[in-house]
Amino acid sequence: MITAVNRDIMPENWYNVVPDLPEPLAPPRDSKQEISSINLLNKILPREVLKQEFTFRRYEKIPDEVMEQYEQIGRPTPLIRAKNLEKYLDYRGKIFYKYEGATATGSHKINTAIPQAYYAMKEGVKGVTTETGAGQWGSATALAASLYGLPAQIFMVRISFEQKPLRKTVMNLYNGNVVASPSTLTEYGRKILKEHPDTPGTLGIGISEAVEYALDHDYRYMVASVMNVALTHQSVIGQETKKQLELIGEHADVLIGCVGGGSNFGGFTFPFIPDGDETEIIATTADEVPKFSKGDYKYDLVDSAGVLPQMRMYSLGADFVPPTIYAGGLRYHGASPSLSLLINRGRIKSDEVTESQVKEALRIFANTQGVIAAPESGHAIATAINYAKSHKNEGKTIVVNVSGHGMLDLSIFGERQ
Amino acid sequence: MKNLIPYFTLGYPDNTKLCRFLDILPVEKINYIEFGFPSSDPRYDGPVIRKTHSVGNHNFSESVYSKYFDYFYRNRIKMYSLSYYSDIKDRFDEFINYLQVNNFSGIIIPDLIIDYFNDSKSIINELNKREFEYIPFFSPATPDFVIRDIAAITDSWVYYGLQPSTGIEIPYELDYTTERINELLPRREITYGFGIKTDEDIKNLMKNGGSGVAIGTYLVKMIDAGDEEGFIEYIDKMRGVLNE
Repeated sequence: MITAVNRDIMPENWYNVVPDLPEPLAPPRDSKQEISSINLLNKILPREVLKQEFTFRRYEKIPDEVMEQYEQIGRPTPLIRAKNLEKYLDYRGKIFYKYEGATATGSHKINTAIPQAYYAMKEGVKGVTTETGAGQWGSATALAASLYGLPAQIFMVRISFEQKPLRKTVMNLYNGNVVASPSTLTEYGRKILKEHPDTPGTLGIGISEAVEYALDHDYRYMVASVMNVALTHQSVIGQETKKQLELIGEHADVLIGCVGGGSNFGGFTFPFIPDGDETEIIATTADEVPKFSKGDYKYDLVDSAGVLPQMRMYSLGADFVPPTIYAGGLRYHGASPSLSLLINRGRIKSDEVTESQVKEALRIFANTQGVIAAPESGHAIATAINYAKSHKNEGKTIVVNVSGHGMLDLSIFGERQ
Repeated sequence: MKNLIPYFTLGYPDNTKLCRFLDILPVEKINYIEFGFPSSDPRYDGPVIRKTHSVGNHNFSESVYSKYFDYFYRNRIKMYSLSYYSDIKDRFDEFINYLQVNNFSGIIIPDLIIDYFNDSKSIINELNKREFEYIPFFSPATPDFVIRDIAAITDSWVYYGLQPSTGIEIPYELDYTTERINELLPRREITYGFGIKTDEDIKNLMKNGGSGVAIGTYLVKMIDAGDEEGFIEYIDKMRGVLNE
């Protein structure tokens, strides 16, 4: 049941930033000379998802059926003032966090998994497939598919598959079928395994396998991030945040989020873009994956095999194999084109934090707020803490997006004596 | 009369075969003609037109086409060049001079406001000074303010690409698309292109206020097949649909 209070906070439309960008978004371009990988999207994505990917509509109505499921999985998520953290830091302003870890699957990923599975179901396809890094997206896909009675085939990056067996259990519990990627289920996976038998896998390889699987099995591919449609669906985060701030008479001076492909970050911050340049926006990445400081702003492959169209984005190169870091969701080589454009134009700033900074931030956040955040979200928290320390007396209101909980990532802390 | 604008990449499939199709093109059925000058990187075109650029690059010879440029000019068919700025930026003055000498009316530059956004207004103003038409090229992804700003410094017709690149078929909402551009640019000639092939497409676009259509990818298939009769019939049919 959707309550009146929830209805006041939940937006009726998704917000698409493309019409409000400071310059035209470069269109995708074909990855191969002879065929159109753009046209191929017609066979890979549900029709409505594809339409939304290329739409210039500023607002897209959220179907009633999706609204209903949003409420079922815990939307709206809470916006909480982190008073204990403020006190710990002796911060003279206010710190709020939007807690996407409160959703049923424990992260923001479900916000786009539900509509994509819904549109796939409406088309009558045989099933859905996708890749997953840390397992949050895979969990969201498995649940969303299950809600609409669709089978889900999930390709999980091998290193995460081995390091996070409980994630596999979660996906199985939601009726998802999970394999380590590269796998023997696809031609591309078999090729990679033959050439690099010990590879830890990458999201790029996982995407390639999922796309191939979709084409071969009349499934539809679920877009985790990077593509604009995922960021549009995730705009429920930022729109709710705006409304929640408005209801308590607050205004965000600074927005901080972490970036893997850019979906939680774009969803959280983009609804603030039309309001002007007053709100400072900071995107945090892992020091080990320095896409914004060391990557190039260029057309590059989204997936390793080059099946999907190329996009103009900040990228470390599609063949970039990142270290097997503690935050699997941030290992992706690129970032969404709209976010990349806004970084390139200087509207959004970037920051990089180290593993030790992230772990310390997660400890502080757990000890002050009681929330064990996901390692990915720990990057945003680390940047927020650093920001609060260096702007202690300016009275600014910082809002940080905690994109997920870290209850299945506790192994990163090891044993403490 | 609504505009019918056929597109040809110069030098494709070879100079002789293309000239044959230009010879039989019924000039009384068209208003403008668009010539693609072969690009080394036609990045915003689909695979069919990309192929024509790749082949055209090997074949194109200026001397072959000057008599055709003269022929279309004498028949009052306005000629427009389709050129990527990445190809002409190092010889921009020389290239525009060449077009003007050959009586072209203007130029369409698909990568200008995407890849050279910061320079676009000064380039357009340079073309204005030369009294050479810059045809604004917009797509659904072009932000409203960019459409308004670029339209404000030009007074030619507008080329609106319905798809992210030529010859592909991403689903879109025709009514919403045309309403938007009509609202942004009332009283401006809007010619639609990219992915148009059926009578129904054209009828709907014209019903919603379009001033014409550009046809490219579909013609390539007839040129590839050497289908001269089909080519003439198709142009005739499209003219008929536009006249309805």
